[in-house]
Amino acid sequence: MASLEIRSIDKFYGQTQALFDVSLSIGKGEFVTLLGPSGSGKTTLLKILAGFEGVSSGTITLDGRDITTLLPETRNFGLVFQGYALFPHMSVRDNIAYPLKVRRVAKGEIDARVRAMLDLVQLARFIDRKPSELSGGQQQRVALARALVFKPDLLLLDEPMSALDKKLRVDLQQELRAIHQTLGTTFINVTHDQEEAMHMSDRIAVMNHGRIEQFDSAFTLYRRPQSRFVADFVGKSNIFTGELVPGSAGLTFRGEGLAVPLGPADRAPGKVDLMLRPEDIAIETDPPGPGRIALPARVLQATYSGDRALYALKLDAGPEISAWGTARSGIHPEGAAVLACFAPQDCTLIG
Amino acid sequence: MSRAIYWISLSAGFLFLVLPLLVVLPLAFNDSSFLNYPMEGFTWRWFGVVFHQPPWMAALMNSLKVASGAMVAGVLIGGLAAVGTMLAGRWGRLVLSALFISPIVIPSVVLGVAMAYAFGRMGVSGGYLPLVLAHAILGAPLVFLSVMTSLRGLDPELERAAASMGASRWHRFRTVTLPLAAPGFLTGALFAFITSFDEVVVALFLASPQSQTLPIALFSSLRDRLEPPIVVVALLLSLVSCLFIVVLNRLQKRSNGRR
Repeated sequence: MASLEIRSIDKFYGQTQALFDVSLSIGKGEFVTLLGPSGSGKTTLLKILAGFEGVSSGTITLDGRDITTLLPETRNFGLVFQGYALFPHMSVRDNIAYPLKVRRVAKGEIDARVRAMLDLVQLARFIDRKPSELSGGQQQRVALARALVFKPDLLLLDEPMSALDKKLRVDLQQELRAIHQTLGTTFINVTHDQEEAMHMSDRIAVMNHGRIEQFDSAFTLYRRPQSRFVADFVGKSNIFTGELVPGSAGLTFRGEGLAVPLGPADRAPGKVDLMLRPEDIAIETDPPGPGRIALPARVLQATYSGDRALYALKLDAGPEISAWGTARSGIHPEGAAVLACFAPQDCTLIG
Repeated sequence: MSRAIYWISLSAGFLFLVLPLLVVLPLAFNDSSFLNYPMEGFTWRWFGVVFHQPPWMAALMNSLKVASGAMVAGVLIGGLAAVGTMLAGRWGRLVLSALFISPIVIPSVVLGVAMAYAFGRMGVSGGYLPLVLAHAILGAPLVFLSVMTSLRGLDPELERAAASMGASRWHRFRTVTLPLAAPGFLTGALFAFITSFDEVVVALFLASPQSQTLPIALFSSLRDRLEPPIVVVALLLSLVSCLFIVVLNRLQKRSNGRR
């Protein structure tokens, strides 16, 4: 059941096109993240959803109702800003009560709902503080409470964590996820932080140059990226350019000194990219068993992080790759000759 | 080297800007009717003269009335102009700003003559009204500038946040923009008040004997006879201005603390 339908949106700023034929179908209660680098159009799309920008063409419907040209104040969407945007001259209580006062909710009910929201974000003690007396994380939680207190049809989050430090970000991610599950409101989050996107979202729309590259669950994006951009942007990856050539045992990928037998595959031969995640590569010194591929390489750099180590390797065949290695019994020194081993079924073809 | 520059520029500034002003002030307490050093003794006598003999208190009351009126009118005109200008587009903003600031650029003698002539034609010469209106015109650009500064400093996301919560344009203005721009209005009001309170050129053209303001009284008694009450008035006016600077400073600190 789709609740928010975005159909073929184009957006021009003068001669520059910011969005190209963007379509998304977002279900009720879903947690969706728009993920992309700066300039990818994710913020433009959010502004259009919020009603601060118009579209050049295309439509947006909510539960079948066309909302493309509605003013922001008539959309009933909650909005959380990167810079919190709390009213500095109002207390926490008045900030959260603001949307309810606008809607002329009865005084007693305003009070009850403000308190309930503050309990939800665990800030009940701070009800009479001014925003300037709160930390960044607390301010953002007040902003969240304010955006949710009027039971919006949709909550839009514009890089809500980017002003917070790493530890706080992880806490707030979990909290946001919990609040989403409690309330069941549709959340649309914008971020350039792929970890944040993967931690919180049901589905992620990866955007690049004003287009949606792929709209899928975090798992599918990571394991089965449909484009080189997605493979590169979501997580670390090693990408080899080459082609599929037919042989006696099915198709084989050849390129950049690599030959990976893929067996009988349901696709046509031709040019293709092959992706290999760093954690799918094992670093060995002895040749592996049958069915695995071993590439001789030299260690360029090893970054130890306790539980494991990230290696930069130079394959003897040419390309440089990165791989996670175990570090239980020490790490391979720079310049050491090793074997980078992987199984063909862990490779993903792109394009 | 940098210490030398610091002390030289500091003392030059002090000698040139401050000393000539300070040198006059002790004469307010001089026990002689001439404005001369050396002083002949200490007295509060001249303060009594200022507080009890014409024209000083009447002129002060006139000045207060005119300045208050000019402040109210100036805040209304300048404040509205600033709010309207903020709503205009980029080019509109530029043109409107230039227009609303223009009274500052025109020499006050020209303004004085023009207004005396215009008010005379309209039959409203004499009394307080022409003075209040003229001073409002001088004060409004200052209000305009300080309110504009205040509005421009506002985070545009606050407006957007209010909009997303369902507040109409007018409601947003009333509950978010206006309260946050209040320091700008207050600063502007103070400027408008003090401008009118100190203004002499336009007032010379427009004031009637009954609506004579303090600076005019000062000016004419300077021509008649140089006596210590003049210095007393000057001292009092300086104190008012110092107070004004202190209040301004407070206001600025408060609005900075908010951000």
